[in-house]
This record gives sequence, structure tokens and C-alpha cells, in this order.
Amino acid sequence: MSHHFIEFDDVFFSYPGGQEALQGVSFRITHGEKVALLGLNGSGKSTILLHTNGLLLPTRGTVNVGGIPVTRRTAPDVRRSVGMVFQNPDDQLFMPTVEEDVAFGPLNMGLDSAEVRRRVTDALHRVGAENLAKRAPFQLSGGQKKAVALATVLSMEPDIMVMDEPTAELDLRARRRVADIISRFSHSCLIATHDMDLAHELCPRAILVSDGRIVADGPVAEVIHIFTDLMKEK
Amino acid sequence: MLSVAPEALARLLWFAFYPIVMAPVAGEEYGRVFCRSLVALPFVVLIGIFNPFYQTEAVFTIGGVTVTRGWITFISIIVRTLLSVQSLLILVDSVGFTGLCRSLQRIGVPSVLTTQLMMVYRYMTVLLQESLDMTRARQARGYRGSNMSLNMWGTYCGQLFLRTVARSERIHRAMLARGFDGSIPVLKEDRIWKGKDTVAVILSIGVLALFKWGPLPTFFVFNF
Ligand SMILES: Nc1ncnc2c1ncn2[C@@H]1O[C@H](COP(=O)(O)OP(=O)(O)O)[C@@H](O)[C@H]1O
Ligand SMILES: [Mg+2]
Repeated sequence: MSHHFIEFDDVFFSYPGGQEALQGVSFRITHGEKVALLGLNGSGKSTILLHTNGLLLPTRGTVNVGGIPVTRRTAPDVRRSVGMVFQNPDDQLFMPTVEEDVAFGPLNMGLDSAEVRRRVTDALHRVGAENLAKRAPFQLSGGQKKAVALATVLSMEPDIMVMDEPTAELDLRARRRVADIISRFSHSCLIATHDMDLAHELCPRAILVSDGRIVADGPVAEVIHIFTDLMKEK
Repeated sequence: MLSVAPEALARLLWFAFYPIVMAPVAGEEYGRVFCRSLVALPFVVLIGIFNPFYQTEAVFTIGGVTVTRGWITFISIIVRTLLSVQSLLILVDSVGFTGLCRSLQRIGVPSVLTTQLMMVYRYMTVLLQESLDMTRARQARGYRGSNMSLNMWGTYCGQLFLRTVARSERIHRAMLARGFDGSIPVLKEDRIWKGKDTVAVILSIGVLALFKWGPLPTFFVFNF
């Protein structure tokens, strides 16, 4: 996979309850791009993200990552190149110590312990959390938890980072730190958020979702403009 | 460990040396361990409280008060529970809950079980927080009563259950996203065997063997 991209082609998805969450979503993100996924609550942002690594599979249409169609069979491989950071770090951090949590992904990839250690140190360093290695995740502050959650995915060295509301529920200082961390990523990024400042700061391009459909896709300033209008309407 | 006959209260008292000796080895005060073990008291009292009523044959008398077999077994149940809880507390404090789970896994307890124990331990606080949030939300909407009706309890538990299911689904997804395939991998620790560990092992084996089979000192031996 020398060329990292994510491509959605006319993706439909319904939750078991019958809710039509995605209704014909198509877009393409190419190597090194940073894209914000904007939209109101319940518009389908998280549902789109869960399709990028096969945690949800389309009921119709296809998702393609780096040339591989995402299916139940290819999903485990796709998950090595698409790293996903979930909205609530409490869902993501389940190991007894930060260090073990950051090692969880690399260990599952079957790496030897020297390499795992190298990656843990490196990932914690990149989010500025070296000093938290031995701490228990549940004792950390919101901002620290978020930084560590980013590290647990960085340690897998994915090609594409997918993040769900990375700054939700953070205070201003923690938000600033998380934004700085993300701005240093060289990965392709897809960031679901309704934090328009964050989108503006980090992403040249934005996609706007409304009721499971893409209603705008283009330069971030323009899309934010349309989003603001949309919010006034609703 | 405490498998001595219910009547052998005297032999049982020997076992008290174990937590008393091990607490300092594990770097703790016995007094604190003892206090913490008292939380188990209400439960054992409930279990043993009927013994004095059923086992009424007299065993001996002290100053005109007849002591029945029921009272002896009752006290023996309390003592053995407190001692077991104290030993467990010292163990968990010294190796940590996770260390305990890991060790269990290493001696052959299935990883399904140990993984589950670890998860329960990790998410207990989260669940507690969630139920507190719900209580607060109820109070914020003007609920003042201190006792809930059965009906409300039902709704409350149902809500808590749904939240827990939703959360477990999210956690499972997050684990799958990082390549989880059913068992939690362990980063090998370079554990160092310290001199203190050797002392602890020899002490434990020696002391326990002595208690179980060793001679009882005469001042412990009553006539029963
Ligand atoms: N587990 C689920 N079961 C049923 N419906 C769901 C589930 N998760 C989300 N939905 C529904 O799908 C739609 C899109 O939700 P979501 O993708 O979470 O939106 P967003 O992340 O933009 O807030 C919403 O209408 C939501 O109610
Ligand atoms: Mg969402």
C-alpha cells in the first residue's frame, strides 16, 4: 500500500433498529490530506468513521482503503492502516496502565517486545505523556486521557488517522494541547468535529454531512460558511 | 487454607500470626489491614448468627456462663473470615489487582475469566460514575425522596443496564479497532526477584505448615 487513500462510493447504512443513518455517501481522501467532517449531532459523522475500518459494513455501496475493498474478511488488515481514535477515551483506555494500553495495538500486531517498547516510548513522547506511562488511565484528567488515547493509536503507526470529536468535552487548555498534537501528525487525517475553529486550524478541506448525506465538500472556509447557514435553518 | 474443624477455635487463632507477620513484610500496618477487613463483618454475622440457636449443647462454662457449641462455631466463622479477608487484602495490596489476575492467568486460570475480572475492575468506577450521574439527574429534576418506589427502581436499573450495554459495545469496537482477537496480550515485565520475596515465601510455607500440623501451645488448649 504505497498510496494511502479512503474512498466511499454511494454508501448506504441502516442500524439494526431500522434507522437510515447513511444515504448515499461518496467522497475520496488522498494521501496526506487533512479533512474535517462537519455536521450537527446525529447527522452521521460517527457512522461514517466506523465504516473506514470495517467496524460497520455498508448495507449498499463500497468503502475502499488503499485499493482494498473493506469487507469482513479484509477488515483486520485495513485496521492496521486506519487508526481510529474514539470520542470517549474511557471507551478506548481499558488496560490497567497507560503503558500497557499503548502497547495493546502493537502487541496485537505480533511485534516483538523490543519493537513494542520502542513504539510505546515513541508514541508517548509524541503526545507529551512520557511521565504518565505507569499511571492508571482512570486517574488521568480529561486532556491527559485524550492525549494517551491518541498515543494508543499512534503506536500502531497507521497510515491514516481517523478521529471522532477529538476536542469534545475538553477545557480550553486541553483543547489547545490536543490541537497542537494533531497539527504535528504527518498522516492523512479524517476528523469528525463540530468545533469549527479546530477544523479551520487543522484542515484545509471539509466535508459537511446532514441527515446521512454529504451536502458540501470543499475548502474549509466555504464549508464552514454553509454549515453556519445550515445551523440557523435548523 | 483455613480448613480446620469449626470447633478448633484454638488452632484457628494460630492463623492470626499470618496476616500479622505478613503485613509488615508487604510494607503495611496490620492495624489498617484489620480495620479494612471489618467491612466483611456484617455479612459473616448474617451467615453465622443462627448457629447459637441450633447448636445448643454446652461445651464448657466460664464463671457461671454456659458456652454452647453454637457460639464457638459462630465466633470461629467470624475469625476465619476476617483472617481470610486480611490475607487477601495484603495480597492485593502488594501485587495489585492486575498483578493478581496476571498470576492467576499464569497458573492456568482461563484468560476469559481473568480478562473479565480485569474489565470488571476497570469499569467499576465508570459504572459507579454513571449511576451517580443518573441519581444527580433525577435530583436535578426535583426528585427529593430518599426512598425510590419499586417502579422507579425498575426504570433506574433498566437505564443503567442499557447504558452498560451501549458502553460495552463501544469498548468492544475500540478494542477491535486495535486488532483485538479475543485475548489480551501481555507485555513481558522484567520482574526482579528480591531478597524480600524469598523471605516472604519461606515464612509463609513454614508458618502455615506449623499452624496446620504443628503442636498447639498448652495455653491455647481448652478441653473440647
Ligand atoms: N447504535 C445505534 N443504533 C441505532 N441508531 C444509531 C446508533 N448509533 C447512531 N444511531 C443513529 O444514527 C444516526 C447518526 O448517528 P451518528 O453517526 O452517531 O451521528 P453523529 O456522530 O454525527 O452525531 C443518528 O440518527 C443516530 O440516532
Ligand atoms: Mg458522533
